[in-house]
Amino acid sequence: MTPPEQPVVILACKVFKTLLEERLPGGLASRVEFFDYGLHRIPVRLRVTVQDMLDSIEQPSLVVLGYGLCGNGLNNIQAGPHTLLIPRADDCIAILLGSYKRYMHEFESEPGTYYLTKGWLESGSDPLKEYTECVEKYGPEEAQWIMDMQYQNYRRLVFVAHSDEDLEAYRPRALEVAEYCKRWGMVYEEVLGSDVYVQRLVELAADVDKHADPDFVVVPPGGELKQSQFIR
Amino acid sequence: MSALYEKLSTIVLEGRSEDAPAAVQKGLDEGLDANDILQKGLIVGMNEVGVRFKRGDMFVPEVLMSAEAMHAGLDVLRPHLVTSDSKMAGKVVLGTVKGDLHDIGKNLVGMMCEGAGFEVINLGFNVAPEKFIEAIKQHQPDVVGMSALLTTTMRMMGHTIKAIEEAGLRDQVKIMVGGAPVDQEFATRIGADGYGSNAVHGAEVAEKLVDAA
Repeated sequence: MTPPEQPVVILACKVFKTLLEERLPGGLASRVEFFDYGLHRIPVRLRVTVQDMLDSIEQPSLVVLGYGLCGNGLNNIQAGPHTLLIPRADDCIAILLGSYKRYMHEFESEPGTYYLTKGWLESGSDPLKEYTECVEKYGPEEAQWIMDMQYQNYRRLVFVAHSDEDLEAYRPRALEVAEYCKRWGMVYEEVLGSDVYVQRLVELAADVDKHADPDFVVVPPGGELKQSQFIR
Repeated sequence: MSALYEKLSTIVLEGRSEDAPAAVQKGLDEGLDANDILQKGLIVGMNEVGVRFKRGDMFVPEVLMSAEAMHAGLDVLRPHLVTSDSKMAGKVVLGTVKGDLHDIGKNLVGMMCEGAGFEVINLGFNVAPEKFIEAIKQHQPDVVGMSALLTTTMRMMGHTIKAIEEAGLRDQVKIMVGGAPVDQEFATRIGADGYGSNAVHGAEVAEKLVDAA
């Protein structure tokens, strides 16, 4: 069992910043670090970023990873002297929707879904932003071909938000993206996410005895995070 | 002579599809062997694309441009490849597994397999296990290749292999898998015969699997 005096360190993707900060009890974490969105696009770099930060923590800690498997970016992360706690999720969408089950439900209803979140809309990417960047680089015709190649099989654009305020605030941009995505026949939907997964993560971080939870992976000191632990 | 091979690999790496046909033609005109043009030129470039993409030094748009250049070069080369190596390397059935709609990588593997002399039957994306089974029965391929981009869908590869087993067809084919989240460990765990880390490697694996059969 982890000794109670073990410090709690949180390393998370920025996509969870608001959700985590609002629910984190004061004094629980000795350190909280948020990393850039989009690191998962190059899983190797995500792994290096997280591993480097882990390795820089000197005192053996309970390190809460605010990530999923993220395209294998978290595969092969070495715990070193720390205990790792991480949601057993493929990516942030399951966590933002509140459960693996709900994610699978959404997935099965339409596999070709592109998810937008507040974070992505602020400083991540979306098909319209990608298109704009591609036009600058390759010109409109080439850019459109590049976009078609990547997204022509998608059928749905889903904006996941956690409050009506966020929906209101980010809807205009989401709708701009939706308008662009119509070229592939994508339909636009809005979904209210859930904080259940993040809340549970915070609870587990505060009470390590409750670690036996099928929705989370715990790696003891000296262990390694493996892809197989996430597959269910 | 080797300068032209290098030029060809650079054309592919830089995605200059407009320059590829003339460069390939030049090689043929100079009497270079079509297979060498492919192996020492185009494929060297495409392999580097795969390596750089994995490392994060190249992105999807650039990979697509490279694929176009490869494609343009292969179009000129293909008739000559057939004459210099008339026998087909074998038959490959390819598909992106059920629930996954990403097909750029899988199509690249198809192109590289064709370049290697395979007859390729491309089943497309979101291919259900029963479709794979149907295709095995219909086309009698040597190799079945499956791809997935997402960790949420790669488990479908395991289900598909199981379904092929249950249909009593597992011994008839070699199965190779690939895609961003897939690695050798996963491939071994689900009982695949081979794993390709990129498109060039995928075609090489297909060749090895056929040779070993």
